[in-house]
Amino acid sequence: MEKIISIKDLNYTYPEAKRSAIKNLSLDIYKNEWLSIVGKNGSGKSTLTKLIDGLIEADSGTIEVAGQIINEENIWEARTKIGIIFQNPDHQFVGATVEDDVAFGLENQGMPREEMVKAVDEALILVKMADFKERDPQSLSGGQKQRVAIAGVLATKPQIVIMDESTSMLDPDGRKTVLNLVQQLRSQQDLTIISITHDIEETELSQRIVVLNDGQIVSDGKPEEIYDLGADLQKFGLEEPFTSELVSTLRDTIKLPDGYLNEEELKEQLWKLHSNM
Amino acid sequence: MEITFEHVTHSYNPNSPTANLGLDDVSFKIQDKKFTAIVGQTGSGKSTLVRHINALLKPTSGTITVGDRVITPETNNKNLKPLRKQVGMVFQFPESQLFEDTVEKDIMFGPMNFGASADDARESAHKMIKLVGLDESLLEQSPFDLSGGQMRRVAIAGVLASDPETIILDEPTAGLDPVGRQEIMDLFKSLQQDGKTIILITHNMDDVANYAEEMAVIHRGKLIAQGIPQEVFNNQELLKEDLLTLPKSAAFAKELTEKGFSFEKLPITINELGTEIEQQLNGD
Amino acid sequence: MGRYLPGDSLVYRLDPRGKFLLTFYFVGIVFLANNVASYAFLLAFVIFAVFLSKINFGFFLKGLKPVFWLILFTVALQLLFTPSANPLWHWGIFTFSKEGLVIAGYIFIRFILIIFISTLLTLTTTPIEISDSIESILKPLKKIKFPVTQVALMLSIALRFVPLLVDETTKIMDAQRARGVDFGEGGLIKRIKSFVPILIPLFVSSFSIAYDLAIAMESRGYKDGEGRSKYRVLSWDRRDNIMVIFMAAVTGILLFLRSY
Ligand SMILES: Nc1ncnc2c1ncn2[C@@H]1O[C@H](COP(=O)(O)OP(=O)(O)OP(=O)(O)O)[C@@H](O)[C@H]1O
Ligand SMILES: Nc1ncnc2c1ncn2[C@@H]1O[C@H](COP(=O)(O)OP(=O)(O)OP(=O)(O)O)[C@@H](O)[C@H]1O
Ligand SMILES: [Mg+2]
Ligand SMILES: [Mg+2]
Repeated sequence: MEKIISIKDLNYTYPEAKRSAIKNLSLDIYKNEWLSIVGKNGSGKSTLTKLIDGLIEADSGTIEVAGQIINEENIWEARTKIGIIFQNPDHQFVGATVEDDVAFGLENQGMPREEMVKAVDEALILVKMADFKERDPQSLSGGQKQRVAIAGVLATKPQIVIMDESTSMLDPDGRKTVLNLVQQLRSQQDLTIISITHDIEETELSQRIVVLNDGQIVSDGKPEEIYDLGADLQKFGLEEPFTSELVSTLRDTIKLPDGYLNEEELKEQLWKLHSNM
Repeated sequence: MEITFEHVTHSYNPNSPTANLGLDDVSFKIQDKKFTAIVGQTGSGKSTLVRHINALLKPTSGTITVGDRVITPETNNKNLKPLRKQVGMVFQFPESQLFEDTVEKDIMFGPMNFGASADDARESAHKMIKLVGLDESLLEQSPFDLSGGQMRRVAIAGVLASDPETIILDEPTAGLDPVGRQEIMDLFKSLQQDGKTIILITHNMDDVANYAEEMAVIHRGKLIAQGIPQEVFNNQELLKEDLLTLPKSAAFAKELTEKGFSFEKLPITINELGTEIEQQLNGD
Repeated sequence: MGRYLPGDSLVYRLDPRGKFLLTFYFVGIVFLANNVASYAFLLAFVIFAVFLSKINFGFFLKGLKPVFWLILFTVALQLLFTPSANPLWHWGIFTFSKEGLVIAGYIFIRFILIIFISTLLTLTTTPIEISDSIESILKPLKKIKFPVTQVALMLSIALRFVPLLVDETTKIMDAQRARGVDFGEGGLIKRIKSFVPILIPLFVSSFSIAYDLAIAMESRGYKDGEGRSKYRVLSWDRRDNIMVIFMAAVTGILLFLRSY
């Protein structure tokens, strides 16, 4: 697998802060993978994304994006490869209308106008906000704002998309739509996805989960491996996946196999038990 | 206090080409001392709805009654202080709620405004910050130098500090880690048990199932259903039209019906589901 | 002035460069008016323009609100202090005369004309269009090494920032209202006082917004404005030519009415 981001011994402390936000963190992220980053509030997730995009400068350590160690000179090039959807969309809007805002990133790339008009329309249709094209982004509802922010990033066709809790204000349907969309783009355009989330269900789509605690990586593995930690997940601020929780309530009276079961597997097990009755 | 909406309509930017209805003829009651959840899709009008309860927005037509206070389109901005002492509100984005230069001052702001002394206010700030699960050392920091979830907790602390009778929570747990979310939800539940009215906007149907006693569903500015969660989540019409998402347990139960199980009513919490499955498997 | 109001009408479709320059031009020729006929004519023109914009008249009246006291003060000054040979009424230092009344009337109309026309510009032109126009108008200055792009960039950020600040003020006020501040209660002094607590948070949060906005812009690849393409293209077509000719005609008529 080809590495797209490689982080080595990264350290960062906010000016005047007593504790460091990122401590000696090393992490490789591979091309086309979907990586979820999870962890307690204040564990350093947002800080890490800002470091990757060069928006804040590390105290020590290096970050390589697509084979280049980022520094002041090449950061602009790196940024064209990375799209970030921030945690709070409120202060993210640059354009006075929804369409202008989506166009902003494209304008920066110098995309010719005819292409741009098409790309803006497409992106807005993808997130179901085409009807709101001429609205002032500030007059939208919380979830609508988030959709526009997502459109603005997807329109620029980055190689890496970082989503910092971008679905947290969406209704369950909207969340599913956005996640499926991102998944689809990932396979079509060879995207790499880094998603930060508190929602364990959302990590199911990913290939790998990294658990951050206090600025350090405390666990890194496939979703099943992480889910298998069961109730231990709570130490890191996570919740047990729904199926594990159900399985543990059932285990007292019903015989089920050990280890993590996903919904399909659990359903099969229950079905078997039911038909054997 | 009981809260009543009577034919409430709210239009944003009336008389302009961009006019749009945030609320469309909504009538319903929110019962005193209950835990009521309000759900609905993005942009359906939930935030618009609750902003009428503390008169941050005035209806374009219709009336809202909060206790003995009546809010009409003509209500002006005077004398609203008593209302806002009674009705506290946690906003959807915590950033838009924090404004002081330290966390401590921010939490003290409400109580001081409602007439508490600085010492009392400070004391309650220290109490509240612990209540929402943050370290006291954060009190001296600027609220803008916090992580998303920490800001959220400070915002909640700031509202609880003035001890309102009715607490409106606009997606208060978005951005909280799951352990924190559960703690905060438990906190709200215990506040309700102490006699407060809780109004919760959320997209998390499991929280609705686990904590709420009443729920209302908003769709495109209209109220389309109201009742106890158990009933509403079993409302076939809503489910058929895809206007409501099920809690995880109910969704799982529904899928189990294809595997030979049968449920008279979909269980909405994990305990109900577990009990049902056990009963059906151990066959009594 | 007002905030951009999405809409569609002839005025919206005019090239913003033309609108921008013609607005300034109009403000200039307002000072040429010198008698009832010329003022009446300009007033008729502005009302016609407002009508063409298809925007509710209320939005223009709103534009008057912030400068209401200034207008009142200036008009009162003219009414009471215009020296006159045959005053209608006289008391201490105050003189009230027919001349004063006329001059006050003219000044009042002048205010209305200028405010309405600039409100018309800001209601129908987005901040981005305005800064794009300025960039395009200043373009020739590039030859003498004037940093046109950067100036336009600063301007567009400033213009973008203003509505954000307005929103922020509303938000802070809402947040404070929700926690018990009564704005707009009590006498003038008390009212002004209740606004003081907004200023500090506004100051603090405008820094944090500026920071967030800068981060958001950078992360989306905004560097220094060079090499950007434009989503909104400025296109000058026939209706803009017609507008210029029309404006020339207005000037001609005005000059004629002046000596009438
Ligand atoms: N601008 C800032 N100045 C000083 N300290 C900060 C700043 N932003 C964040 N911090 C601190 O750095 C630590 C990590 O914050 P970060 O925002 O990365 O957390 P996070 O994992 O994204 O949390 P959340 O899930 O709540 O969003 C926290 O302890 C926070 O208080
Ligand atoms: N200030 C405003 N000006 C104009 N329209 C607005 C404004 N605020 C909200 N709206 C519109 O009113 C409708 C309802 O918005 P509201 O914020 O109440 O939705 P919501 O149910 O809270 O959604 P979400 O779950 O996304 O927060 C939306 O279509 C929105 O675009
Ligand atoms: Mg964060
Ligand atoms: Mg909302």
